[in-house]
Amino acid sequence: MQEEQATLQAKGVTKRYGDFTAVDDLSFEVRPGRVFGFLGPNGAGKTTTIRMIVGITFPDEGQIKLFGQPVTTETQGRIGYLPEERGLYKKMKVVDQLKYFAALKGVSGREAERRIDFWLERMQLADWKKKKTTDLSKGMQQKIQFIATVLHDPDLLILDEPFSGLDPVNVEFLIDVISEFRTGEKTIIFSTHLMETAERLCSDILLINKSRKVLFGSLREIKESYGQNLIAFRGEGAGAILEDRAMIDRVVTHADEQELHLAEGVDAQDVLRRMVAAGVSISKFEKTEPSLNDIFIDRVKGGDNSDE
Amino acid sequence: MNRFLAVVVHEYKKVVLKWSFLVGTLLLPVLAGVFAFVPAIIFSLKGEPTRIALVDRSGTVAPRLKDNLSADKMAERARKAAADAAVDITPSQDEQLKRTSAQLVESFIFTDVDPAGRSLEEIRSDLTSRITAEEFDAYLIIPPDVNDTAAVYEFRSRKGADFITNDSLRDALNSAVRSQRLAEANISEERLAAIGKPVVMDAKGLDDRGGEKDTTGLMIASFVIGLMIYITLAIYGQAIMGAVVEEKETRISEILFSSARPFTLLFGKLVGVGLAGLTQLAIWIVSAAALLAFLALQTDLSQLVGAVPEISLLMIFYFLIYFLIGYFIYASIFALIGSVVTSLQEGGQFAFPPVMLLLVAFYFSLAVIRDPNSTLSFWVSIAPFFAPITMPIRIMAETPPFWQIALSIGINVLAIAGLVWLASRVYRVGMLMYGKRATIPEIWKWIRYA
Repeated sequence: MQEEQATLQAKGVTKRYGDFTAVDDLSFEVRPGRVFGFLGPNGAGKTTTIRMIVGITFPDEGQIKLFGQPVTTETQGRIGYLPEERGLYKKMKVVDQLKYFAALKGVSGREAERRIDFWLERMQLADWKKKKTTDLSKGMQQKIQFIATVLHDPDLLILDEPFSGLDPVNVEFLIDVISEFRTGEKTIIFSTHLMETAERLCSDILLINKSRKVLFGSLREIKESYGQNLIAFRGEGAGAILEDRAMIDRVVTHADEQELHLAEGVDAQDVLRRMVAAGVSISKFEKTEPSLNDIFIDRVKGGDNSDE
Repeated sequence: MNRFLAVVVHEYKKVVLKWSFLVGTLLLPVLAGVFAFVPAIIFSLKGEPTRIALVDRSGTVAPRLKDNLSADKMAERARKAAADAAVDITPSQDEQLKRTSAQLVESFIFTDVDPAGRSLEEIRSDLTSRITAEEFDAYLIIPPDVNDTAAVYEFRSRKGADFITNDSLRDALNSAVRSQRLAEANISEERLAAIGKPVVMDAKGLDDRGGEKDTTGLMIASFVIGLMIYITLAIYGQAIMGAVVEEKETRISEILFSSARPFTLLFGKLVGVGLAGLTQLAIWIVSAAALLAFLALQTDLSQLVGAVPEISLLMIFYFLIYFLIGYFIYASIFALIGSVVTSLQEGGQFAFPPVMLLLVAFYFSLAVIRDPNSTLSFWVSIAPFFAPITMPIRIMAETPPFWQIALSIGINVLAIAGLVWLASRVYRVGMLMYGKRATIPEIWKWIRYA
């Protein structure tokens, strides 16, 4: 991971509010050009960490470096931040708000107008340029907020729960735009509690729970290292074999199939052989890897147990 | 610096390009005009005449009463009253007096009713029934003996609340009865007038160069300026609070804080809205000057304009300085409140302390108008919170030595630095605390640790 300079480097970052430790000794790196998923249940410390990255608050201990520098107003200018709690001026025209947000990031005049027109067009909102926020739907407001985040062409995009409040069509649309943004040397950090989306978009993930790091690495490596034997199974007459605890640790029943968690050291081939021998009628038998959701639930619950 | 300018421009435009700004800028002069002229217009409107049945049991008062309510007599008395007050009357004002008197005269129609030996009770019930039948509007019974000081002059009217009519009638009746008493005591009217004439006291202030100045005009002008500063400070303070609360309520502050330091944002906001306030004041000052210049050309009103105290450019400069001082003091308090509360309504409730302070400052300014050189005037024109209203008035009434102005400005600038610092500490934490209002101990914690 060290071959090139990390976009973001956090070392031993700790933030306390009175007696409450919101972020505890957190270290991680975000490599350039990657989509970095920042995951964790509500209240885990995601937003606090992001606020330290964008320079709203500062760590009590430890250090955050962006593009090799400490956090300053200069690094703020290279970040586009879409907060989870976000809003617009109610009675101001769309174009005026966007101009203000751009000016705060150092883009003004003709250049700002050119970019605003481009993005409004891209987001299919060109007709709403002169309208006030109160005339826009919630989804449109979300898109305007996204435009405000990218107007200054940031090198690092931080999106905190970007899809909350969007309908499925707009979620797909925004994913397209984000993927487009990714081409080039742009880095994206995005925080979510929706594991399916994270799994789809992220190349690296950091999972935190109760202020502490739980998992960190590339999604690929994590899944492989997590490598529990998991089989998606659909069939008739396997009752006895599924009850055999020496072979199958537990069975999770879904609507139309079952998820078989194999016991330690059991080979999936052996299970299949036994089923065939026992005359089970098999319509599906597929080795799968754990979903991010499984890992998330497992690790977060595991974390709970080890704490208590 | 760029970001700071962006914030200033944004906040300035947000205030100035609003309808309320335009309306407010135009409305204040219009309102002032309305307050000055409308009462005069309303009172000059002619009402329906009051028909009065007159029962004169003395047989001497009625002719005098009617005479007193004639146009010539009324105008003469008004002139005399003006002369007593040592006010010069211009020919056009005299004309005006005659007109109003004539109007007043037309508003009375008297009908003599002969008692004809009937008892008082009978007369009363007769007249009451005729008033109910709308033959008359009122009746007046004059007792037989004018020298009986305990006697009651009975006036009953359907239009009991018409105080203008009632007052004119009472005055005329008083004077009629007095004349009759004097006649019976063999004292001439002129002799009594000479005895009773009040002294002429010519009250004018002296300025520091020994020149005379008119204190009445000065007092009114001081009051107007004090009120104007009070109103603008309250309005712009609340404007700041509204802007802060909006950014907190809509969660825009999180985006803003990721783009610029909270201090830059807060200070930019204060400066931007402050410039909008200066713009409005400049419009008012220029239009007031234009209005006065216009009035001075109208010979009719030159008298009025002459009463306006001389205001030098230096004074205007001081007013603007003190407007800015007051603005920064109160705006930072309002900004602090705005970043603590969760909604504008809640902010309204907590705006009470600064508004109270402003009100106290305004009341102190009345004391300063009365005696600009007292110890109290000295202290309140130097103290933070009060100086922005009291010092401009003191400067106008009796410009204090320069060291006092300098001291006052110095102390208040220090107070501003402290308040802005305090407000920005609270602002940077408070703006990101959604959901509940902070308690005083919490705010104290933010100030210390933020």
